[in-house]
Amino acid sequence: MDYGGGYSTTSYGAQGGAGGGGFMGGSQSGSQGAAGKGTYGKDTLRPVTIKQVLDAQQPHPDAEFKIDDVSFVGQIRNISTQTTNITYKLDDGTGTIEVKQWIDADAAMDTTSDSTLSKPKLVENEWARVWGRLKAFNNKRHVGAHVIRPIADKMEITYHLLEATYVHLYFIKGPVDQIKVEGGGDAGEVSYGGGGDTGMKGGQMQNLSVAARRVFQTLKNSPQNNEGLHVQNIAALVGMNVPDVRKAGDELLGNSMIFTTVDDDTWALLEF
Amino acid sequence: MASEATPRVNAKYLDSFTNQTVRILGKVVSLRGETATIDANGSINVHLNRDAHLQLNNAVEIVGKVQQDLSIKVFQATDFGSNIDFNAVEAVVDATHRYKEIFYDGND
Repeated sequence: MDYGGGYSTTSYGAQGGAGGGGFMGGSQSGSQGAAGKGTYGKDTLRPVTIKQVLDAQQPHPDAEFKIDDVSFVGQIRNISTQTTNITYKLDDGTGTIEVKQWIDADAAMDTTSDSTLSKPKLVENEWARVWGRLKAFNNKRHVGAHVIRPIADKMEITYHLLEATYVHLYFIKGPVDQIKVEGGGDAGEVSYGGGGDTGMKGGQMQNLSVAARRVFQTLKNSPQNNEGLHVQNIAALVGMNVPDVRKAGDELLGNSMIFTTVDDDTWALLEF
Repeated sequence: MASEATPRVNAKYLDSFTNQTVRILGKVVSLRGETATIDANGSINVHLNRDAHLQLNNAVEIVGKVQQDLSIKVFQATDFGSNIDFNAVEAVVDATHRYKEIFYDGND
């Protein structure tokens, strides 16, 4: 089935940095405060279904979720206004979750009605889009909304679900061009050059597996100190499991493209 | 209730979702009082509730239960206007069932 050609050009790439994908840590942590302690590399905004929000795992209680900054759509089932926040119950057909938006006391004081009037209204049974952060409180999940706004064009819902599917497949199968490489077999290998953003002498990259290239790109593009990144971090960033990352790392070590730093599982780029 | 999810389906999927609550985005092709026909990759008969206000030729999103005769008992209907690309809608239905892990629990 054809999902429309134009769409596939959007870059969520590990290669492309955050070009198409969303906010990077810097812009996010400003308003968030709690973000940016060592995990900022993960702070990309991911389009998801509500089921994915409900299924998201925490490595251990109180830890950050594997999916934390999210964007999703949903039909408003309920709006309840509290003293400190407004809680919306959203349903996108894949599940239901509560979204809390804190009431900005300063903005509320500013009753010159300009801001309140121009703000589009959120009403029950209409659809809304949310950008927010996944939170757990008393074993109950909710999303702290940075922004919630009504959806005017209903095609945004369809678009969002396809985008969430695309990003989901990106993380489990890799970028579109690399899927083609795997599927294409013999001649496919050459087409990787299309990425063109490796910045590495092409010849060296050509001999690497897809996994090794992704790990290399992640090491190259992720913020880090001179100790490099730990295998676990890389696995989280690149969306692969740890054994696969180790294998990719061995390959890169063998090619003298990375080196181990504080221990065998912490790697940095060998590049000047 | 086992699952709160309402999987997106069209006419082709109805027989595997009898007695389940589903979500259908289709175009209203005829209105006859308490029943209506919508087109979602095939025509579907729907039994309306009182709050449902369908508009002929507009798109409508219906949440409802699939009956034995593959008609739909409507719980909720939301008007989606006239500017809907049904190719994209069909792509979503296809993705829903192809990659159901992010859309619904399909073990029943």
